Formats: sequence, C-alpha cells, structure tokens
Amino acid sequence: MTQLQLEGLDQAHCLDVLSRAQAEEVKQFAEELIPSLGEIEVLYNRTGLTMLPMQEPVKGTMFYLGEVLIAEAWVRISDGEGYAACLGRDVEQALALALIDAANLAGLAQDQIAAFVKLQAAASHQADDDLLRQVEATRVEMETFEWLISK
Amino acid sequence: MAYVAVRGGEQAIRQAEKLYRALNHPFGAGLVHAIERCLPYLIDRVMGEGSVYAPDLAALAIAQSGGDLYEAVLLLRAYRSTLPRLSYAEPVTNETMFTVRRISAAFKDIPGGQILGPTLDYSHRILDLDILAGNDPPKDAEPEKAEDPALPAYPRVSDWQRLNGLLAPLPESEPPDPADLPDVTREPITFPAPRAHRLQSLARADTGGVLALGYAGMRGYGLTHPTVNEVRLAYADVRLRHPVTGVIFSAGRVRVSQTEVVGTKADELELGFAATMGWNEVKTISAAMLDMEMDREDVHPAHTDEFVLYHTEAVEASGFCIHYKLPHYVTFNSSLDSIRRVRAHEQASDNGKDVKAPSMEEAPA
Repeated sequence: MTQLQLEGLDQAHCLDVLSRAQAEEVKQFAEELIPSLGEIEVLYNRTGLTMLPMQEPVKGTMFYLGEVLIAEAWVRISDGEGYAACLGRDVEQALALALIDAANLAGLAQDQIAAFVKLQAAASHQADDDLLRQVEATRVEMETFEWLISK
Repeated sequence: MAYVAVRGGEQAIRQAEKLYRALNHPFGAGLVHAIERCLPYLIDRVMGEGSVYAPDLAALAIAQSGGDLYEAVLLLRAYRSTLPRLSYAEPVTNETMFTVRRISAAFKDIPGGQILGPTLDYSHRILDLDILAGNDPPKDAEPEKAEDPALPAYPRVSDWQRLNGLLAPLPESEPPDPADLPDVTREPITFPAPRAHRLQSLARADTGGVLALGYAGMRGYGLTHPTVNEVRLAYADVRLRHPVTGVIFSAGRVRVSQTEVVGTKADELELGFAATMGWNEVKTISAAMLDMEMDREDVHPAHTDEFVLYHTEAVEASGFCIHYKLPHYVTFNSSLDSIRRVRAHEQASDNGKDVKAPSMEEAPA
C-alpha cells in the first residue's frame, strides 16, 4: 500500500503521540470532538493480536519475537475514515483514537487536535527526556588495570 | 483394553478448589495491579513464555494461578488462543528501540558507551527484614538526571565488529514480508529447524529450561566458550501500517531484551543471539549461548536444536509432567502383571519344571 497523507496534521506523529497518552484524556477529548463529526459508523472495534517481528544480527533472519495484545478501531464519518490501535484491551481508547484520526484526516477540528497533540507530545517528550537523563546518570567508564610484577 | 471411571469426581473437584481458596487469602483487582506494578520481572517472564505482551493479563494469570508460573503461562497461552490475529507489525530494529540498558563484557569501549540502566544487578543481596517488622522501606530519592540525556538508540556491537571486518558481512537479501515468516504457532517445527523457528521458540521458551541447558554448556558440556557481546534492555515501538493511508505509526511500546554472544572460530568471530519480549537477561544470555552451540557439529546430544527446542517449551513440558498425576492404574497394573508372570515363570524353573511363561490369565492375582 502506498503511503497517502490526506488533509490534516502529520498522521503518524498524531497517532504515535496519542497511543501513548493517558487513555482517559484521549477518551475525554474524543467525546468533545464527536458533535463535529456528523454520523459515525464503527466498521470494527475489537481486540486481537499483532505479530511482532525482529531481525537478528547473526544471519539477518527475521523472526517473530511474540504477539502483542492490541485494541483497534476503524470508523467512518461523513467526511472520511479513521483507524487507530493501542496496546492492551481498551476498545474505547482505540475507538477514541480512531475518531480523532478520522477527524484529522478529514481536516476537521484542526486547531483543537493540534493543541491536544502538542500538549500530549510535550508530556511524552518530557517523560522520555527525564528517563534518558536518568539513564545517562548510570553510564560507567571501564578502566583496565595492569598489574606489573617486578622481579 | 480397560479404563477406570472415578465416582464422585465432580463433587470432589469442587471441594478441592474450595479448600484451596479457603486455605489461601482471596485476591482482587488490587493485588493484580500491585503485581503488575511491583513485579516487572515476573510479569515479563510470564509474558515472554506466554508469548503475549499484556502486562495486566500476565498479572491476573499470576494471581489466579496462586503464583504457579507454569499455570500462569498456560492461562495466558489459553487466552491468547481465543484471540484473532489482526496484523503484522513492522520489524523491531535498533533504530526503533528506546534503549535504557546496554552493557558489553567483550569490549569496554563500545560505541555509545556502557549504560547500566534500571537494574538490581549491583545491589547487595541482603533481605530487608525491616520491612517485615512493619517499617516502610526508605523512600529513595528521585534518580539523578544527567545534564545531557543518553542516546535513545545505539548500534549493535556486532554492527561495529562487522564494520571492522571481525565478522562476516550479512548476506544481502530483500527483507521478507512480516506476514510470510515461519511461525511455530501455525506450523509444526521440523529439524533442523529454520532459524526463524529456532529464535521464535527460544523467545517463548521456559526460562528455567533454557538456563539449565545453557548452564550445562557454560560449565563444560559445550563446545563454545562465548563472551557477552552486549546485553540490551529496551522499549520497542509496535509499528503498524494504517489501513487507510498506509502510514506507519506506533501503537505503543513494549519491553524487549536481547543478547549477543561472541566467540572465536578459525580466524574470525562468530555470534549467537537471542531476544524475548519483556526484560529477562538470564534467558537471553542462556539462549544466545545455546544458539551458538546448536550450530556446531558433533554437539552434545542435549544441545542439538531438536533437544533444546522440544524440551524448553514451557506449556508442553509442564503439561506432560503434571499429566503423570492423572490415573495410570490400568497401565501400571499391566506392569505388575508382567512382574508376576516373570516371577511365576522363574519359580517354576527353579522347581525343575519345564514350563512356558504363563499368559496373563494364568498369572496369580
């Protein structure tokens, strides 16, 4: 499938950020968007597994590391469609994400979505930055000591 | 052919479960949440062996099984079998792994340096009895933050070794479609196992089993004596393809661990590798060493791929073991019959009678 960015904010960035955001905040925001979306049809909203492959460094073989439980939703609104997935079993969270995605792709409520994504991105970035600074504080420098035995 | 029916079994089974619950404290959502928050290594072990990344369900499985890890893994695998396969994520790569721990025992100056990350490896192994006395553990101060953040991603140590000509280059080939990979959950494993089967099986293998066989190799039954090239703990993005636009996005991050081990073979280095979902260093180190060992000719029988992969499958192994608790009265009775027949035959011979071995019907009860 070719990549197609419809109208709206950068879709991958929005979904990356919002899939990590607090579920309740995402649901609350989606509730606020619903009146502007027109008629909503939920094509599916379910839980299931996604296979997680990895490439190994010995021979470059790709293999399945395991399966990840996800919730996903695909919705249709009057101006287009939206899809999203998140880790876990929270189908309401997935539905909320899909509605935001549909609104974004349709170019609806751009200011509100941009503001919400920016807020969540800042929180996510801050959390990553804090963690990486804490990780950096665990850096060790190894030094080799040589024992010289004098005759 | 015979079988044994148990009378009153249903009632006894109900009572047995009731008795278990009466002797043990009931649990609720609070305990499940506490397990998920406080016991990450246990959660990761169960998720890895259960082959499903779902921390809350792993915590529930641990609580529901009374902490019997094999039962917890079975519960998770059983739940997994009820779920549809929805999609195939993009492959996990170093570039998409948010690395928080990476150490090397082979080189002290690896590119990117060595970061210990979140670990209890270097803690004193002393029980904190004050906690049992009712004293809360001292609240640790917030971890310090360095002036500059660590890098979120690092190259593999093996990449650096390849650049320096110490390892053979990887064969160039088109990356396969993630949906077309060999899959031990969908097809029977055959031997010699395809590498994808081997690594997938090791990823979901029993930690204890992998450690036991790996340790046997480390102690001296192995032909290889590798060094840990790198151990890495990271968060990997689960990247999915959007069905409408084709855009690739992250649905969230999962904990993963991977280990490279390195050894010498003729005039160059050779690698072993293993990875699993969750953070489980003992498992990936042992499995990476077994990965290298399994490739050797004239390997110890306990280190062939067939032996390793068959005997480290947690659910099959534990299931086969506990099935021996089920009634085997008829099969065992046939063994007793054999003994009686042989003894009767020997006694008859001792008495100077020329007799043939008695049939089962003739044997004394």
